Amino acid sequence: MVGNPNCGKTTLFNALTGLRQKVGNYPGVTIEKKIGEAFSQHGRPMKIIDLPGAYSLAARSPDEAVTRDVLLGRRADTPQPDRIICVIDASNLERNLYLVHQILDLGRPVIIALNMMDLAAGNGTRIDHAKLEDELGVPVIPCEAIHGRGLVELRLAMSRAELPLARHSWDVPAPIAAAVAELQASLVDTDGRPPLIARAEALLLLTDFDTLGVAGSTPLSARTLGLLNVWHERWKGQGTDWSATLIKGRYEAINHLCRDVIRRTRVSGPSLSDRVDAVLVHSMWGWVFFGAIMVALFFSIFSLAEYPMNWIDGWIAALGTWVQSAMAPGDLRDLLTDGVIGGVGGIVIFLPQILILFFFVGLLESTGYMARAAFLMDRPMSKVGLHGKSFIPLLGSYACAIPGIMATRTIENAKDRLVTILVAPLMSCSARLPVYLLMIATLLPSETVPTATKVGIMLGMYVLGTAGAFGFAWLFKRTLLRSAPALMILELPPYQPPRFKEILRQMLERGWLFLKNAGTIILGISIVLWFLTAYPKHPDPAVTADVQIAASYAGQAGHLIEPLIKPLGFDWRIGIGLVTSFAAREVFVSSMGVIFGVEGAEDDMSPLRDTLRSATWPDGAALFTPLVCVVLMIYYVFAMQCMSTIAIVKRETNSWRWPLFQVAYMTGTAWLVCFLVYQAGRLAGY
Amino acid sequence: MTGRVCRLTGDESFCQRIREMGFGEASLVTKISGHTTSLCMVNGTRLALNHDAARCILVEHLPAGAR
Ligand SMILES: Nc1nc2c(ncn2[C@@H]2O[C@H](COP(=O)(O)OP(=O)(O)OP(=O)(O)O)[C@@H](O)[C@H]2O)c(=O)[nH]1
Ligand SMILES: [Mg+2]
Repeated sequence: MVGNPNCGKTTLFNALTGLRQKVGNYPGVTIEKKIGEAFSQHGRPMKIIDLPGAYSLAARSPDEAVTRDVLLGRRADTPQPDRIICVIDASNLERNLYLVHQILDLGRPVIIALNMMDLAAGNGTRIDHAKLEDELGVPVIPCEAIHGRGLVELRLAMSRAELPLARHSWDVPAPIAAAVAELQASLVDTDGRPPLIARAEALLLLTDFDTLGVAGSTPLSARTLGLLNVWHERWKGQGTDWSATLIKGRYEAINHLCRDVIRRTRVSGPSLSDRVDAVLVHSMWGWVFFGAIMVALFFSIFSLAEYPMNWIDGWIAALGTWVQSAMAPGDLRDLLTDGVIGGVGGIVIFLPQILILFFFVGLLESTGYMARAAFLMDRPMSKVGLHGKSFIPLLGSYACAIPGIMATRTIENAKDRLVTILVAPLMSCSARLPVYLLMIATLLPSETVPTATKVGIMLGMYVLGTAGAFGFAWLFKRTLLRSAPALMILELPPYQPPRFKEILRQMLERGWLFLKNAGTIILGISIVLWFLTAYPKHPDPAVTADVQIAASYAGQAGHLIEPLIKPLGFDWRIGIGLVTSFAAREVFVSSMGVIFGVEGAEDDMSPLRDTLRSATWPDGAALFTPLVCVVLMIYYVFAMQCMSTIAIVKRETNSWRWPLFQVAYMTGTAWLVCFLVYQAGRLAGY
Repeated sequence: MTGRVCRLTGDESFCQRIREMGFGEASLVTKISGHTTSLCMVNGTRLALNHDAARCILVEHLPAGAR
């Protein structure tokens, strides 16, 4: 399945295969090929590949390169597809046909899915699909992927044993025909390409100087490269822009084709999207709206989440009390109450907030606001040397840095992409939410504190992280990864009403992932941590719990790192949390639950925030002072505490250099900023 | 404000891309809003261009009613 970005490929793919790949109303949602299976009309299995959107085979970014390379059979892990389904957006036929025109050159059987017929009709455009089918000689199936219309017909067409090849008469302009022929021969002979693919690739290589440059494709033979150079040099000498000529030729053919196919039944005035945009991308109202969304998000996190959170809290406490009364005292009981319930339970109560966050992210993604946010942010981003498109991955990183980092594949400039990858984890992700919430609850336990104060602190942390990301982007663009400011062109799709079913599904998926993590990684770490706090046993069994834990393995390790973090106001117990949460940030909360649960009185099942508030240094001074709570939040704003992010950065940058650099600069900054804030706070008397 | 693209200058691969997106010479473009980042309408699609990108696209102003 290929087509322009945002034309509904994945929606169609999901409908055909029953899979649930991510769909969103902005260009660049799919950034890697996805494989699924569907069945033909006769029950034969068909493998379907969903590809990232592309405007042209002349790829400009890593995601488009995936599409180009799969189509040209350049990828070792994917055989060249037997058939190509071109999905096109009927409301923008001409531009979508450009890619189709290039694909017809490949000489493969093609089926055209004329998607978004509803939008075209809404614009007052009537498309004569039978005529289009006639002209091109390939099946053209009108459909509306979100409403499931046209699927049966599409499946029927896909099931046909024989598909006609396109009646695609298109002459390569004479002056470059010789070059194409020569290069085609070389590609067939020395690079083992099938003849038609070789022709398409020759056209691409000759007219697109970047085709060689994008990483991930198999290198060409020396002979082909030599030929290519000769022609490039010759044309440079002549000063003719053959690529422009070629594009013009294709568009002329397309316009000719469309003349009889498209009928505009009425001239439409400004659409609803235009009127909404007049406000949402307005240089002042746009920002007001953006701010309002953020404030609404955090208000819901604090006020709406309270009720479900209290229920979960109640159930967990009840479970703990029950275990305590039902079991005989001993290590196993302690493991269950302190390790399992204290650790995992402490984190599970944040499920409502996580769901709310993903609900908002889903709203932004499905309505089409993402691209508007990128537009709005282009100006501030340009001040640091990036452009608005980089903001889409950054905004996505508010949910989780991993999809955010993957989304950088839509960025054309390699250095800009790297800068975006480097700063993306500074955007406060959902895993930080439990840490912030726990610290805010410890800081402001009283019921009388207005929600606005809590929202303000939370917003402050998000702003701090975002400012950090901008600041470091500025720094990296000026030092390590210097490059000229990149040019941005970004399509803003029409607004769509939010698709609540889709949003709900994504929320449940993320919520389930969160619970699964809690049930596996966090459970595992909590159990291990519990053992480390319980052993070795103090020679004197009568000692209090805090003496026992101080002498345990965890206590010894904690004391070892305490000198390093004492200048930040943290003691060894917090230190253990910092170390364990290197796996994932939310582990900090579960670790605090285990450590302070073990230490606490025998039958104490009070909320963690109260336990933390009563924690002290050996000299009796309070440990979690307001200053320490704030410093701890700041630490989590900056520190790189996520194994999965490190792994994904390694994969996306193809080296260990960048993830390690990222750990060093982020955690280094975290330490430094915390040190300054804590020491300044102390001096100021906090 | 509507104009007609008369010339594309600057970065070659960028020019190729905008031509491929139907924003080539002789296409009609309407600027909808924006100062440093502009929002344009080309062939019924909304395209955002940053400042440097917009400077690559030279447009001749069309008198009102000339469309
Ligand atoms: N009105 C309308 N909207 C549709 C139709 N098909 C898909 N959409 C919407 O179009 C948007 C884009 O859909 P996707 O399936 O993510 O598009 P894609 O082509 O996979 O996009 P990329 O992966 O970014 O290239 C979503 O908001 C869909 O809900 C349709 O037939 N009509
Ligand atoms: Mg997709």
